[in-house]
Amino acid sequence: MNVLDIRGLTKKFGDFVAVDNMSLTVREGEIFGFLGANGAGKSTTINVVSSLLRPSSGEIRILDKDIMKQSRFAKMNLGIVPQDLAIYEDMTAYENVSFFAGLYGLRGIKLKERTIEALDFVGLGDKAKSFPKNFSGGMKRRLNIACAIAHKPKLIIMDEPTVGIDPQSRNYILTSVRKLNESGCTIIYTSHYMEEVEEICSRIAIVDHGKIIAEGTKEQLKSTITDVKDIRIELKSVQGGVVEKLRSIPGVRNVSQEDHVIRIHSDAAVDNLNRMLKQLIDAGMEIRSVEEQEPNLETVFLTLTGRNLRD
Amino acid sequence: MNILSIALKEMKQSIRNRRTLLFTLAFPIVLMLILGLALTNAFSSNVSIGDLKVVLKDSSGGGQLSQAFTGFTKEVGKMGVTFESLKSGMNGREEVQNGRYVDYVELTDQGISLYGSSRDTIESNIVQGMLASFTDKYNAASAVAQIEPTKTEAVFASGGHDYIKETSVNPDRTPGSIDYYALAMTVMIGMWAAMAGSHIIKGEITRGTAVRLVIAPVRKSEIFTGMILGGIVTNMLCVIAIILFSKYVFKAYWGSHMGIVLIVLLSEVIMAMSLGLAASYLLKGAVSSGIISIVVQLMSFFGGAYFPIGNETGGGMMGFLVNLSPVRWANHGLTEVIYGNTVSAAWPVVGLNIGFAVLFLGASIFMMRRREGL
Repeated sequence: MNVLDIRGLTKKFGDFVAVDNMSLTVREGEIFGFLGANGAGKSTTINVVSSLLRPSSGEIRILDKDIMKQSRFAKMNLGIVPQDLAIYEDMTAYENVSFFAGLYGLRGIKLKERTIEALDFVGLGDKAKSFPKNFSGGMKRRLNIACAIAHKPKLIIMDEPTVGIDPQSRNYILTSVRKLNESGCTIIYTSHYMEEVEEICSRIAIVDHGKIIAEGTKEQLKSTITDVKDIRIELKSVQGGVVEKLRSIPGVRNVSQEDHVIRIHSDAAVDNLNRMLKQLIDAGMEIRSVEEQEPNLETVFLTLTGRNLRD
Repeated sequence: MNILSIALKEMKQSIRNRRTLLFTLAFPIVLMLILGLALTNAFSSNVSIGDLKVVLKDSSGGGQLSQAFTGFTKEVGKMGVTFESLKSGMNGREEVQNGRYVDYVELTDQGISLYGSSRDTIESNIVQGMLASFTDKYNAASAVAQIEPTKTEAVFASGGHDYIKETSVNPDRTPGSIDYYALAMTVMIGMWAAMAGSHIIKGEITRGTAVRLVIAPVRKSEIFTGMILGGIVTNMLCVIAIILFSKYVFKAYWGSHMGIVLIVLLSEVIMAMSLGLAASYLLKGAVSSGIISIVVQLMSFFGGAYFPIGNETGGGMMGFLVNLSPVRWANHGLTEVIYGNTVSAAWPVVGLNIGFAVLFLGASIFMMRRREGL
């Protein structure tokens, strides 16, 4: 069963087309990765699905119901974890979750139970009476999630829920996402951290210039990149200007450097590894290891969009 | 139910904002005390019923009305209200305008006309109250005369003091400085609801919580109503707190029509809240809060919140600005209700406030419906 069905969605802001005739399907039980660089149309799509923006054209169905015609049904089954925190700092954690859950028609004992359940789920059960202004960034992010799940939606959209938090909270959130999914929630997950998406998402769509340019499982996406090789060279030290020299080698598409490691994306058909190594040796650099890697999601994204995810 | 929970949330947040709450309550109380004590001599000690002079033109031809009115002037003359005949060449209205008399009364075959002073509101109201009592009694006497002419005298024979009793004017009650500032500060606090109104939706957008409200299965109209309701109740509670404090701690006089006073103040709070809300939709960014703060301060200043400013302005630009201020409308109307017992003076103020509130709310709803999100 399709939990979300987007057909021919277009959203324009004046003459600017933010989402261009997009079609997308998210099936029940998936953790669906939605990837795109800044300005690709990802957030606009999420905002239209959440009824924050009106579509210029197209149709969106949640659990087979048109969100424009049966908006209450759609909203009752949707939970959003916005990228920016959406909590009241001057209300306790309990009051925050209880207030938002109350807007979904929960009352009395049921409201109390669901509120406590949601707080326990994100590990804030013992902080129910505390004010978020005294919370760490990670705790606030977890409360942000609790506010979106107390009414037990079928579909949860998480827009970069781990941005700017410590690794411990990040792991906690990723575990929570998996647990939510296991409990029957379908999740749409966006992140700038490719490794997160690779780790938890069962299917992924890459959006660029308002269009879905690739969609499938991690394996399916990686298999589309047969014409690119991903070379990883570890050096003792890296001298300035070497990245530019490597880029000038025929077949090289992209070169990036992180500490002593240089990563090169190059056309698979061009045999240019010798020239790369010669360039480094001529520049007086000591090579520690050379490795040709399987393309990962980052390679796929870079190859398809020509941009890094964090651009 | 959603409206109620949004309103309660709004109230909870406002009450927890201790800094704003303290300022809202402490500022007017401190100002009331300081200005009330500092300006004691500038107030009621100069106003007494014995000072009231009324100019009278009798064009009724010396009939029953004229005779009855002469009796009335004699009775109220004992209370210190002097009626002087309009001399030839004098213009009654100009005499009042120039402050030589508090009222100009004209007797004609058609009845009694009164031209009251907009400067000496309280004094004019005292005379109006007495006249109202006289006309009631005269009408009663006329009705008796048609049925049983011999009993007419008995109607008037009940004594001159009735004119005072029936108008419920307490001749000793004049507004002291504390009384004045208790009213002025309370009206000013009512107007401060505009500042809360300018922040009410914008605050949700700034916090990011507007997103959660819009995506919830709640109509925009419910969010809107809940927030405004919460804001109105919170501000009205502040207004009531100021009234109670001034009444029981400073012993300020609030008259005998507290219900009417609260209705006027409630209408002012509703209007102010709507004004702030409309400004937040019309003006982008943080500009609206800044502009509303300035506008409210100007309204308070011209409305006489800091010192009585309306009575000496006469016409001109200053008079125009003074009359534009809703603080002035409420101050003026409530003074008449509290000190003149003129309950009817409340309704034009309530009407104006509610009228403007409908206008501002209508504009806000129109703009909100056109917007995506809140």
